Amino acid sequence: MDISRRDFLQIAAAMGLLGAGGNLMAGHKRADEITATDIMDFKPVGKVSLLHICDLHAHIKPLYWREPSTLISAPNLTGTPGFLCGKSFAKFYGIKPGTLDAYFDTYLNFESLAKKFGKMGGIAHIKTVVDEVRRDRGRDNVLLLDSGDTWQGTAVALKSGGEAIVKAQNYLGVDVMVGHWEFTYGKERVAELIDKLDAEFISQNIVDNDPFSDNFEELVFKPYTIKEVGGAKIGIIGQSFPFTSTANPKRFTEGWSFGLRLDTLQEYVDELRKEKKVDCVVLLSHDGFSVDQEVARKVHGIDFILSGHTHDPGPKPITIDGTVIIIAGSHGKFVGRLDLDIKNKRVVGYNYKLIPIASNLIAPDKKGIELVDALYAPHDKELGRVLGKTKGLLYKRDTFYSTFDALIGEAIHDETDNEITFTPGYRWGTTLLPGDDILVDNVYEMTAITYPEVYTFELQGGKIAQLLEDIADNVFNANPLYQQGGDMSRLTGVTYDIKIGAPGGKRIGNIKVNGKPLNPTRDYVVSAWGGNLQSAGKNLRESKIRPVYDITSDYIAKKGTVNVPNKSNVNVLDVKCGCPKKGGLC
Amino acid sequence: MQRRGFLKGLAGACALTAVGVPSVTLAAKKKPKGPNEMPYKKALEVITHGKGAVDSPKVKLVVPEIAENGAVVPVKVTVDHPMEPGNYVQEIHILASKNSNARCADLFLTPENGKAYFATRIKLGGTQEVVAVAKLGDGSYVKAHKSVKVTIGGCG
Repeated sequence: MDISRRDFLQIAAAMGLLGAGGNLMAGHKRADEITATDIMDFKPVGKVSLLHICDLHAHIKPLYWREPSTLISAPNLTGTPGFLCGKSFAKFYGIKPGTLDAYFDTYLNFESLAKKFGKMGGIAHIKTVVDEVRRDRGRDNVLLLDSGDTWQGTAVALKSGGEAIVKAQNYLGVDVMVGHWEFTYGKERVAELIDKLDAEFISQNIVDNDPFSDNFEELVFKPYTIKEVGGAKIGIIGQSFPFTSTANPKRFTEGWSFGLRLDTLQEYVDELRKEKKVDCVVLLSHDGFSVDQEVARKVHGIDFILSGHTHDPGPKPITIDGTVIIIAGSHGKFVGRLDLDIKNKRVVGYNYKLIPIASNLIAPDKKGIELVDALYAPHDKELGRVLGKTKGLLYKRDTFYSTFDALIGEAIHDETDNEITFTPGYRWGTTLLPGDDILVDNVYEMTAITYPEVYTFELQGGKIAQLLEDIADNVFNANPLYQQGGDMSRLTGVTYDIKIGAPGGKRIGNIKVNGKPLNPTRDYVVSAWGGNLQSAGKNLRESKIRPVYDITSDYIAKKGTVNVPNKSNVNVLDVKCGCPKKGGLC
Repeated sequence: MQRRGFLKGLAGACALTAVGVPSVTLAAKKKPKGPNEMPYKKALEVITHGKGAVDSPKVKLVVPEIAENGAVVPVKVTVDHPMEPGNYVQEIHILASKNSNARCADLFLTPENGKAYFATRIKLGGTQEVVAVAKLGDGSYVKAHKSVKVTIGGCG
């Protein structure tokens, strides 16, 4: 059944799909009809526009990025925003199969839609969208806010110590940002990069924790900034990733203390409202979508939370206790546009749209193309090298397993002859289509971190089980405030059963290592990277330490063509599908 | 603002060192040792002389949701109660529910402390509840509790 644009608007309005603003959601149109005008279509409200980006992960070029086909949570959160994927996502947000939105927001028909719609994101394409809004609204009425995880994730970022991406942000005209992976360049480098950055870097939740420092117990960054835009005073409070010091190596932020710090957050909200008399309070956050929903319940007086960290595309805002929360996906796939109508010192209306950066439909800005070329030029030869080909889809996002992680696990096993490989459940990476060449650049897209060392050591069976429980409790905790926002660590050489709804410490069973039941008293040879597991082990094989990107690249080059099975090694006992709806229904 | 509050707290702690008998015990050893070292239930009974303590919003307990380092977990306690002669917060106790030695700190205050505020760092052997108990002017006991997760770390 074909529906015309006008019919669609009526149907959509009747179904309540359009929100307050009545934007035409481009993805509902027939795929072959869609144009850049549809993507940009927006009903402006008031005088102020906030543009929001998050979790670019240094992807200055367009890429393919497939959303998860499995997104499992604690039973109480199943089917709520932040824990939706595939059909349950499409149903929740009213997205039709085969549309641009279905392609950007879900894994459904990904391979065929990728051929139809092409790559996503890229700073040159983002710039076109940002500039269009600036032209439409006036330069002084628009802010570009960045929720962080911007400086890390690709080879150009890593090899320039983050500087390539700061240049990209300055080119886009980012006004304010917060951080997470930014901090993995180390405190000193972070300070240097902030010097080069045009944007303000703010955070109310990072405090000097070094008792010998002159600044002991003082904030490391400005907690908030006040911007006058479109005749209104907007107070923007920064919230960097609260669990940086546990999720990433402590050495990068030695002497700093993180945390949610909701008590001081409440104080800054009150200060902005009562003393600074702002018209609107915005929290620019890297808490994660689920955590920020809890923040909205606990902290009062925030008008908008611009969330990040968990990489959720949020096609519609959600409102909790009067606070509106938006989140703009990841990898440069989206720009969120939030128009504010401010009258009598308060927000009286808003309109929001998550704009998909469809690189085949949006004309790139010429200066952006030049900048990307210049940033890649020193590395073109190395990063453009073809290592091999993939037979099947190589992707990253899923709760337990992904083909690209399985490939990394295979590569590490091949080099170290271990029994078990742990690969981190980061939510960033890339996607390669069946038949695609695998470039060195692609391997970095999965592994470009400042602590790439693969460690091989011995770990007792009992400890392995305990560690798995510990990681599972961070991923599947029923209380969002105890979630760290990643997916489950990926294991090669191990199969196990998991009961998500079981109490902490009792979720995992039937652990088998290479087909045999895990022996709690035996030592296993384990390789791990991107975490802290080596500190729990013994007899570290120092001579075998090598960066994960080198190990993976060498393995792919050796194999020529890779064919990774898309079959999870984890058996979920209490959930029947990858993308359950509310109530655990499939 | 936070720093000033913190310094005030330190001043309070120092003042009570001079006048009171504070004993700050770091816990988390395998076996309880000595008269003050005992499991949570027993500790609460001893501290409140068998009266028990009721949950109260008067006790404000600030701890991190997830410990950055289980060996030094910052704890701040404020009790919203007058500090006048005859009616003041007499004691503040900090307990860790699952440390084998649950008593982390016992503070004895006087009206001269000015404010019932204390900040310290405690060691947690694993994920558990941190409990702050206060003895009010009328001899009753109130408490607040919060869970602190101790983890090897998650994924980015």
